Amino acid sequence: MKLFKTAAAAIIVAGLATPAFAAEITKPECIAPAQPGGGFDLTCRVAQTGLQGQFDTPMQVSFMPGGIGAVAINLFNTTRTDDPNAIVAFSSGSLLNIATGKYGQWTENDVRFLATAGADFGAVVVRADSPYEKLSDLMDAVKADVSSVVFGAGGSVGSQDWMKGALLLRAIEQDPKKMRYVAFDGGGESIAALLGGSIQVYMGDVGEMVSHIGTGKLRILGVMSDERLDAPFADIPTVKEQGYDAEWTILRGFYMGKNVSDDAYNAWVEKFKAAYASEEFAKLQKEKGLLPLNLAGAELDESIKQRIANMREIAREAGLIQ
Amino acid sequence: MDAVITGLSAGFAVAFQPFNLSLVLIGCFAGTLIGALPGIGPINGVAILLPIAYGLGLPPESALILLAGIYYGAEYGGRISSILLNVPGDAGAVMTTLDGNPLAKRGEAGRALSLSAVASFFGGTFAVVLMSLSGPALASYAVTFSPSDYVALMVFAFASLASLVGSNSVKTLLAAVMGLMLASIGIDANTGVARYTFGIPDILAGIDFLVVVIGLFGMAELIHLVEQQVTGKLKPLALDKSFVSMKDLAFTKWTILRGSVIGFFIGILPGTGASVASAVAYGTEKRVAPNSENFGKGDIRGLAAPESANNAAAGGAMVPMLTLGIPGSGTTAILLGALLLFNVTPGPLMFEQRPEIAWGLIASMYIGNVALLVINLPLVGLFARLLTIPQQYLTPLIAVLAFIGVYSVVSNPHDLYMITLLGVFGWILRKLDFSLAPVILGFVLGGLFEDNLRRALSISGGDWSILVHSGNAIMLYVLAVVVVVVPIWLGRRKKKAAEA
Amino acid sequence: MADRVFAGAILVIALLYTYIAFTVIKAPFQYDPLGPESWPKLLGIVASLCAIYLIVRPDVERLKADLGTLGRLAVVVVMLLAYGRLFEPLGFLVSTWVFCTAFGIMLGATPLKAFAFGAVTGTVGYFACTRLLELNLPAGLLNHIL
Repeated sequence: MKLFKTAAAAIIVAGLATPAFAAEITKPECIAPAQPGGGFDLTCRVAQTGLQGQFDTPMQVSFMPGGIGAVAINLFNTTRTDDPNAIVAFSSGSLLNIATGKYGQWTENDVRFLATAGADFGAVVVRADSPYEKLSDLMDAVKADVSSVVFGAGGSVGSQDWMKGALLLRAIEQDPKKMRYVAFDGGGESIAALLGGSIQVYMGDVGEMVSHIGTGKLRILGVMSDERLDAPFADIPTVKEQGYDAEWTILRGFYMGKNVSDDAYNAWVEKFKAAYASEEFAKLQKEKGLLPLNLAGAELDESIKQRIANMREIAREAGLIQ
Repeated sequence: MDAVITGLSAGFAVAFQPFNLSLVLIGCFAGTLIGALPGIGPINGVAILLPIAYGLGLPPESALILLAGIYYGAEYGGRISSILLNVPGDAGAVMTTLDGNPLAKRGEAGRALSLSAVASFFGGTFAVVLMSLSGPALASYAVTFSPSDYVALMVFAFASLASLVGSNSVKTLLAAVMGLMLASIGIDANTGVARYTFGIPDILAGIDFLVVVIGLFGMAELIHLVEQQVTGKLKPLALDKSFVSMKDLAFTKWTILRGSVIGFFIGILPGTGASVASAVAYGTEKRVAPNSENFGKGDIRGLAAPESANNAAAGGAMVPMLTLGIPGSGTTAILLGALLLFNVTPGPLMFEQRPEIAWGLIASMYIGNVALLVINLPLVGLFARLLTIPQQYLTPLIAVLAFIGVYSVVSNPHDLYMITLLGVFGWILRKLDFSLAPVILGFVLGGLFEDNLRRALSISGGDWSILVHSGNAIMLYVLAVVVVVVPIWLGRRKKKAAEA
Repeated sequence: MADRVFAGAILVIALLYTYIAFTVIKAPFQYDPLGPESWPKLLGIVASLCAIYLIVRPDVERLKADLGTLGRLAVVVVMLLAYGRLFEPLGFLVSTWVFCTAFGIMLGATPLKAFAFGAVTGTVGYFACTRLLELNLPAGLLNHIL
């Protein structure tokens, strides 16, 4: 009973002691809505290192795994809606989850998209000794018999990894539901399965291909960006220039709670814009395997809403949502 | 072969520089401490300390050597809380509790800690030696393992674990199925459909393995300790000065070798790691070792097998990462990220372009294992002293350690309730003579089994014959039959001999 | 009896689990013949059969724990839940201090010793973990001091 009283008293004290959130950024924090070590961790590290020197205290990175980001978005829509200190990492995967309703009631209108950390692009990868020399070889084979090719990637049906394959099939008017698709647990397992011959095509990302370029084991048939990328990917044609209308950008960036004051939001936007202008930031992106795609503030918000609308359309066509 | 020797000697020249050598030692020590905290294993240890290593501005080979030390240290550290407190230090140390903790309760904590340090050393070194001799060839073999082969591997794993069946086989089965059911919660890896999440976002990605382990084992142990204390059954332990003897080592030498081989081969396969390796090693050992009726009650072979296996698996997991650039586990994915951070690209090219890093890292693994043995053996007495802390302080301390372990990585307060409730559940299971190990094994193996079965069927377009298409798979099915049938046959023969 | 009660509870859960597998779980489309529902169906049926067997043939009669002991254990569980509840608002240092003091007293330590033990565990634990090992623990009440 004594314990209970102490506890009750302590809760009240705690409630009183918590300061009302001010509009200033005093303790910058980046929340990676996953376990340490993944893509969200990397995204936060970009903010941590890239914005270094613009804050009095170093930015803290904390982890909030659970529900592929649902736990974090939930928290920022219930308790921390106006926290000016915290930014949360997101990726196009999170946007796709919003589009397909995986986050329940929360949509793109419930957060404020702040800035990007960089981008990555989809890549169509086969083994070096594959009969598919060019993307058109693969696409012709799929057109002739959709069940003759086994695709694989690191995400489930309906994830962005699957989406890349679905977009390819859509470009030649095939039904994505007829694709032979195998879901692995992450890129590493998928590449192993590709090398081992379990799958014939791996729908990967350009960034993770850095360690495989020049090894002579894999061949990238096309990158899913709008334009050709810089070295070391300059020689690889885009899927679009080979005549197939399929593009997939993996956007990495940050959002904030929707009730954050304009002052705080704009202060963050300015800090990101200042970072984008520096050479160190470009170097940092390169180190982290990201390609430059620098958008912040209203510009980003607009671009993202457009993206989500596109995703909804594709998801509906593919039968993922009604 | 010549290339290996030249490479290794150059590597040792890098690793033996006094500065790098001291980094190995620091890394091993910090890793042991962080790994000893329940729930924080190599994966989180490396992820947490990586930014610090990067922030120090070390040259790449030194930073990687430091990280490798942390990785191995955490792997070693996991056994400490398993043995002393019956709280698994990390995913790979669950099986270590089965015989390690009974030894400690019997007053032989020092013996258990030192023997497991030697077993860990052997497993770890075995893996590094195989890696330096034939890493690329092994990695090329590992990637030929297809989803249908993994199905066969899981069948083999379950067959070897049939040895865990306790007095009531229905209870063992039910325990395993409960583990499988827990593992089925969350988003289905194949179709992305949410199963049994009831709209709770925290469990969309599934229940965290560590939460299950710490709850079912650690918190249940805590409640059990309080119960024993309340009923006056708990006797204080005298300071125990036991240590591993040459006789112990001679007795377990084949066990350690078998554990190392099993651990290494399961470790190099992408997708299976230390937890599967130690479980299979334990199950197989109990099956093949003579007079194994004391397994689970403090048989030193039941301790040596999983400890050599999980360290060999940790080393094995590095093989596909270093030689092919394919991370087969969460920890190696982080190490891969670390390499890329220092502009080092793992894969076949690394050995040509940056030999000082590739071989320096491998050399530091040899040194790291030796360093860990040297650090760990003298500390055995100190760690064993933990058990002489009076119960009224030790029991709360277990709770505090478990809370730190669960909270500090993911910072989700709901996990703290979850472990408490799972602890109550685990305690009830223990009271009703269920064993907890099958629950955990069902949890670990269940997801792998289902995912790979469905992957195999997606590849074949629904044709079940894919399951017996490869040599790997057929070999594993044969082995599965062997581990089930041979002990029964041996038992019958022994019985007949006794009757005659 | 204890076995039967437990097996009965498991049976209820298993039946519910199986029911959900047969009715709720469905993929919009799938590439493998099993889909997300077959595995849970199998598990649910096996678990139900095991539970029924245990109801018919139980082997543990009683929990072997008297009411007094159970009461004490219930207090422990409540303390653990309270510790979890207060972990973030009070912060690691203070909540650990309170928890260790209370738990220590309950297990027979003198209040003064338990209090000192709590203080040491909270303070040393906090600084060792946050400063030396860079782990993340809540500062809570002492947010502005630490």
